[in-house]
Amino acid sequence: MSAQAGADAVSAASAAAAAATTTDATSAASSAVAHTGFALVVDHIDYIIMVPLVYVSILALLVGIVWRVVTIMRSAPPPYPLRLYPAARNAGLAALGDTFAMPQVRRHRPVFWVFLMLYHAAFILLILGHLDIIPQLRLLPAGSRHMLGAGAVGVAVTLPLLFFLLRRLRSPLREISVPSDYLLLLLLLFLFLFGDMMSWGNSWSPNGFVMTKQAFSKYFDGLSRLTFADPRAVLPGSHYHFAVIHVLLAESFFVLLPFSKIMHTFFSMPINLLRRR
Amino acid sequence: MEAAISGTLKQLFETRLHSAMRLYLDTCARCGVCVEACHVYASMPQARYTAVGRAEVIRKIFKRYFKLEGKIAPWLGEVLTLDDATMDQVSDAAWSCTGCRRCMTFCPFGIDTQLIMSIAKALLIGADKEPKLLTMLADMSIAKSEGIEETKPGFTRAVEDLAPEIRALWPHSKDPVVTVEAEGADVLYVALAGKHSIIPAAAIMNAAGERWTLSVYEAVNFAAFLGDSKKMQLIARRIHDEAVRLKVKEVAIVECGTAFRAMKYMTGVHPFKVVAFVQLISRYLREGRIQLSKGTLKGTLTYHDPCQIARNGGVLEEPRHVIRHLTADFVELRPNRADNWCCGGGGGLVALGESDFRMKSARVKAEQMKASQAAIISTACENCHSQLTDLNEHYGLGMKVEFLSKLVADALMK
Ligand code: HEM
Ligand code: SF4
Ligand code: SF4
Repeated sequence: MSAQAGADAVSAASAAAAAATTTDATSAASSAVAHTGFALVVDHIDYIIMVPLVYVSILALLVGIVWRVVTIMRSAPPPYPLRLYPAARNAGLAALGDTFAMPQVRRHRPVFWVFLMLYHAAFILLILGHLDIIPQLRLLPAGSRHMLGAGAVGVAVTLPLLFFLLRRLRSPLREISVPSDYLLLLLLLFLFLFGDMMSWGNSWSPNGFVMTKQAFSKYFDGLSRLTFADPRAVLPGSHYHFAVIHVLLAESFFVLLPFSKIMHTFFSMPINLLRRR
Repeated sequence: MEAAISGTLKQLFETRLHSAMRLYLDTCARCGVCVEACHVYASMPQARYTAVGRAEVIRKIFKRYFKLEGKIAPWLGEVLTLDDATMDQVSDAAWSCTGCRRCMTFCPFGIDTQLIMSIAKALLIGADKEPKLLTMLADMSIAKSEGIEETKPGFTRAVEDLAPEIRALWPHSKDPVVTVEAEGADVLYVALAGKHSIIPAAAIMNAAGERWTLSVYEAVNFAAFLGDSKKMQLIARRIHDEAVRLKVKEVAIVECGTAFRAMKYMTGVHPFKVVAFVQLISRYLREGRIQLSKGTLKGTLTYHDPCQIARNGGVLEEPRHVIRHLTADFVELRPNRADNWCCGGGGGLVALGESDFRMKSARVKAEQMKASQAAIISTACENCHSQLTDLNEHYGLGMKVEFLSKLVADALMK
């Protein structure tokens, strides 16, 4: 189905769906209006961001990661061992400890360490929280209106990010940092803030965000079943662009990740093995 | 800079891109945890003297020539193009780093700044901008193996002349007091140019009744300072071939950190064991082959762990074991062992002179020495010994700087 046909079919469907499921008359009305001119262009862009680009960016992410890992695996081995002493009794365990507990940071920068651990642990929960929205993978009870952590995971990734950003402004880290360091942090900060708005709205306000977790569940369901349906039909309300921007920022992150220092996610274990083995 | 040269430099860079190097260049989060690890930064707080600051110079060249990012958005990583100004930065980074790898123990990923600096040094050699003295010394070491047959008789005679001084430390030394390249020995001892590196060691090995012989070569590996792995192999190869020819079981390396690490870890596998001389002393004590009297040392003793022997070589407890036999009046430097501050003289800086920089960049070392309140500081590395001696003088610390082997030889129970 072309994007054009999809969008048209869905605008019709969305009117019916909205009338059936939404109690908020204004939201229902806003998606029922047939768009023309500039609004129609925006609809198309929204659709491209919300559906095809999701697949494209995830594919780019996976291909990029594999490519980076393979490049390194195919290089010659180092000419001599790079280990440090005293040697650990079990190099593999020691490297695992380095990767997940970062004892060096705990020792030399305890405050930074607390934020790093909080951030990284919350990031894992954030991934789980998104998987939970896919109906087939549900982790929380079916009727839950909260995202995993009920908004706390969002706080736990956003606050450390602010800390990471602020500490970079102080010397000597400021002199050491390059533009990509700030841009990466800003990208993530905005990505999280848009996510926070939706998740905090649903968990922390009496009537919830305009789009409910159930609504997002339908969107994820469509994505996971490759229906290519326009999510506008299941995501009602005038705040749709918050979701679109959140998704666009996530896609940017996926595409950039293989080129960025976030590759440390995959390199941390092998690189720590070098000093331990 | 001419395009041809920068092309050559790019190729040189590429030859260094093994898997570990790629991991090191790709992974740094610029988190800054390594900042305080470096004694140079701790003594002179400037970003260019941090481990990450140094590595970034190379990383920015890497991005420019080997990464998509450097081609489509060079400003993202503030990439550097290979030109004269960049080469000045490369030189500044490389020759202000002693290769102590203390930063590697701070980094959450364990990034090896010394290894990254080996690219810097390779580029400097490629651009003909390296300190010529080190290259000259490395070349001389290699050339020495070619003319060795002519110099050997003179060397042997000079060594034989040391007999009285060795007998002064260990009177029961049997004739011949020293042999050079004698077949049938168990241990090949590789010394340095000065007789101070031979006399105490000879007395100790004679006291232990060791079947040992002296190498005609010097242990020091100047190419390791240069990060020139090919020459480093050639220099080590001379000793390797000598040891194989003499069929020794063990090669004992004089108190020289770089010589030890280069021989033991950086130049492939050998059919013989490689030990640092302090390990040999520790073994003699354990086996009861030598006894030391505790009365010889006056005043509190401390010990400086040489980076290339301790953190990078794994010889951490043997020196303490030896010291327990020497004196009860011992204090540790703080920090010590793998965490010890570098003396500030490694990476070829002592050989190059660099006195002003060495004194300024090792202020924290001098403070650490002073805080120990020890009267004597011992160590097991020629480079460290020279640097500690200079620091002692420059900062007016009033300490005595000694080789561990010298203290042991003086304390041999006759
Ligand atoms: C899901 C996996 C991971 C993700 C998505 C991730 C992401 C991030 C992000 C976004 C930052 C902030 C960068 C910045 O401050 O500029 C960061 C920082 C850091 N991460 Fe990770 N990381 C992951 C796994 C790991 C692992 C396994 C380690 C193990 C050592 C690690 C160690 C660090 C360190 C040391 C920093 C500090 C960098 C800084 O302040 O800039 N990360 N990580
Ligand atoms: S190896 Fe030593 S001198 Fe070089 S950057 Fe690291 S801490 Fe500093
Ligand atoms: S500690 Fe490691 S990752 Fe952090 S800035 Fe230093 S070298 Fe880079």
